[in-house]
Amino acid sequence: MKRKRLGYSTVAALSAGLVLAACGDVNDENFENDNAGNNDVNNEADNNDNEDEENDDADEGEAQEGGNATVAMYSTPEHQFNPIYYTSSYDNNIIEFAYESLFAQDEELEFYNELAEDWEMNDDQTEMTVELRDDVTWHDGEEFTADDVVFTYTMIASPEYIGVRQDYVDDLVGYEEFSAGDTDEFEGVRAEDDHTVVFEWEEPTVTPQYDTGYYIIPEHVFEDADAGEIEEHPASTDPEEIVGTGPFQMAEYEEGDYYFLEKYEDYWGGEPNLDSVTWEVIDQSVMTGLLDSGDIDAVFEPDGIEPVDLDTVEAMDNINMYQPQDLGYQYMGFKLAHRPSEDVENAVYDVDNYETNEKLEDPRVRQAIAYGVDREAMVEGLIHGSGQVLHAPFPEASWAYDEDAPVKYEYNVEQAQELMEEAGYEDVTDDGYYEDPDGEEYTLNLEYPTGNEPRERAATVIEQNLEEVGIRVDVQSPREFDAHATRVEEDEPDMDLYLMGWSLASGDPDPSAIFGAEAAYNYPRWYSEESEQLMEEATQAPDAFDQEYRQEKYAEWAEHVSEELPMLFLWSMENNFAYTDRLGGVTENPVNMYKNTHEWYVTEE
Amino acid sequence: MYKYILRRFLIFIPMLFIVTVVVFTMATLAPGDPLTGEVLDPTVDPEVVEQRREALGLNDPPPVQYMNWLSEISQGNLGDSLHYSGRTVEELIMSRAPNTVYLAAFSLFITIVIGVPLGMYSARKQYTPVDYTATVFGFFGLAVPNFFFALIAVYVFSFQLGLFPPQGTISQPGLTGIDAFLDRLHHLVMPGITLGLASTAIYMRYTRSEMLDVMGQDFIRTARAKGMGEQNVLYKHTLRNALIPLITLLGFEFGTLLSGAVVTEAVFSFPGLGQLFLTGIQNQDFPLIMGINLIIAVTVLVGNLLADIMYAVVDPRIRYD
Repeated sequence: MKRKRLGYSTVAALSAGLVLAACGDVNDENFENDNAGNNDVNNEADNNDNEDEENDDADEGEAQEGGNATVAMYSTPEHQFNPIYYTSSYDNNIIEFAYESLFAQDEELEFYNELAEDWEMNDDQTEMTVELRDDVTWHDGEEFTADDVVFTYTMIASPEYIGVRQDYVDDLVGYEEFSAGDTDEFEGVRAEDDHTVVFEWEEPTVTPQYDTGYYIIPEHVFEDADAGEIEEHPASTDPEEIVGTGPFQMAEYEEGDYYFLEKYEDYWGGEPNLDSVTWEVIDQSVMTGLLDSGDIDAVFEPDGIEPVDLDTVEAMDNINMYQPQDLGYQYMGFKLAHRPSEDVENAVYDVDNYETNEKLEDPRVRQAIAYGVDREAMVEGLIHGSGQVLHAPFPEASWAYDEDAPVKYEYNVEQAQELMEEAGYEDVTDDGYYEDPDGEEYTLNLEYPTGNEPRERAATVIEQNLEEVGIRVDVQSPREFDAHATRVEEDEPDMDLYLMGWSLASGDPDPSAIFGAEAAYNYPRWYSEESEQLMEEATQAPDAFDQEYRQEKYAEWAEHVSEELPMLFLWSMENNFAYTDRLGGVTENPVNMYKNTHEWYVTEE
Repeated sequence: MYKYILRRFLIFIPMLFIVTVVVFTMATLAPGDPLTGEVLDPTVDPEVVEQRREALGLNDPPPVQYMNWLSEISQGNLGDSLHYSGRTVEELIMSRAPNTVYLAAFSLFITIVIGVPLGMYSARKQYTPVDYTATVFGFFGLAVPNFFFALIAVYVFSFQLGLFPPQGTISQPGLTGIDAFLDRLHHLVMPGITLGLASTAIYMRYTRSEMLDVMGQDFIRTARAKGMGEQNVLYKHTLRNALIPLITLLGFEFGTLLSGAVVTEAVFSFPGLGQLFLTGIQNQDFPLIMGINLIIAVTVLVGNLLADIMYAVVDPRIRYD
């Protein structure tokens, strides 16, 4: 505010024919003093500059300076504010304002340079040279350099590291040796000079910006600690000690109550408009009231507005809603195979040992179930229409998403029955339920967990829907989520169908961590050669450097997965992000609402 | 007396031991562990989680885990939290305990300052409109659930009337001195009343019936017969004799306050021990659950001991040898 006013006032004063003595080297304080001493003159000048400012603001999209924005979350952060150790999305709320990475993702989930200035890959696609911005400083004034990047990646690769972010480093050269403690040097990442970093992979990579796009932590703060000790370092657990490069830095907090962040004036992207951002921890039950009264300005990730409160919030006249697809989705898994108990015990995932579940072996049965379940009705009835039926596991915002690729199963009982009969199922006993092709009784066991109300109710809907088709479903009483997850993971032999959720990959669309035949997270134990091949081709250099090529492969894969149906995707939710008219400059981004926060501003009424 | 106190302290040890064994057993019987949630992030290799589990000793049989915990305790540590990575249980408890102590003290203050005089007044003016009003209030206090009252209070006093802040412990950062104190007090009013509501009602009912009981006894009639002033009869003889059961209540009150705080703190987003306890349970952070439980257990035991000692102060006929 001050700096801007100064400019206009000077102009106004000069044009009024007044030459202030201090005009040549005015600074903010001098101006304030002058202001106090020359009331009459400056009142006029002030009036002028108000007008000027308004005009100017209109051009700039009403950016104003100063003020505080209050953002709400429903749970307390765990106070692990070190990016390499945090796991809670509530801690991430603070981290997003304070830390940055080399690359960030925009609204289309495409990567753009953040702390990186420029980058290039070598011809083999195994080496990436990143040139860093040279105008970045840490909150304590130290310069941000290539050493910080090397330090961050080295810490995650260290043998002492006890966090879970290995995904970002484990394909880099020398990871195995270094993380095993065999060498002291991590070859995969090195500083060429102060502002140039080189990353090197074992194999050609098609996702370099994802791998290198993790938050960077300051070496000079953590250098005396080893990777394990960083977890307990004050700069990790005490909010006031956080040192990042982001536009805001922690000033004060009351654990579990509020977190007050002040602008970082020397932010490389320009001094933030807001003086401060306050995170308030509130109970969900009072959120609508606080939003209405203007006590909070926004509810973004990870909570958003609960579907039940949606009508109330939408009825308020001072609220902007932004409703991108949520990356979480619900599905009904088909246990196509079970691992033998021996493999379960030893955590072995070997396709050759998978024991096929004959009840679900025929894809026509799975397709019949897909036709027989009314997913549209679930979206309307169970989640208040705040979401949509999902057909393939790619986020809508992603380049990998192709609306037309997957088969869309519209609710159709007759088609479901036709498919069952085609597959040889027949109602021999005339009790309204199909018997299997051998004439034996046919019942599918469905298991589901407690804890997500729409999902719990979906179990009953599925049972009734399939009963109408003529498929008998034995719905077991729900289990505690953890117990359920263990049964799914450990391939409980009696389980045929199960309900569960996953999240759509936002970093890179490669689905192999969940759908790869021998991936631990491939809970249906699905094995399809075609799928394996497509997934591999989609990440195979050199073709896969071409995004269009990958797009095609994933479209093919999406079609394949929708025909094979290792799982029936039920729905993906919508996020209901809300902010008041008072808050402006927000970058609406489906995976991260906290980008470009230095552009946020508030208008005072 | 000292011997008595010492003996009581010695009994604490086996009692605390039993409490911890029971809590530990229940905490470990529940399926899953604090790392289960992390398994569901597809970018996290399940092997990494398994290694972490091994390193934290979560794969050890429960008795071994219990012994490990016990050996930490014997060294004066409450252990490391599993959910709050990088933080110790002591640190967590210390960061939240002051808020709960303020809340409990405030609500106890309300309970005693409102409950006891109101009960006395009702007893003196039995079957008057005031008595009836107090009785209705008493039943209301007992019957209305904490969380419900809290939500109504937030709606009426915060959103409609704007009298009290609906959430948190402090309204803005940067307050110091008396401003900070008053601001905190302002934030305590609604959670404090919510937490104290039921106890206030109980105290009122107890005081009333005890007073009536004592007032009907012979020694009161004697006191009145020898011409003692009504004030003297009431405060010196009746109240003092009516206090004994109230002191017993007070002994239990500490435990009630701490457990009631779980619900109240959640509704008001009041960052105290109750909220911490709830998070601990939700995430199966057993060192944290055990730590807070131990504190609650000790508080209850010490509270009861204090009550027993107070008996002797209030009623000289009671002696401990």
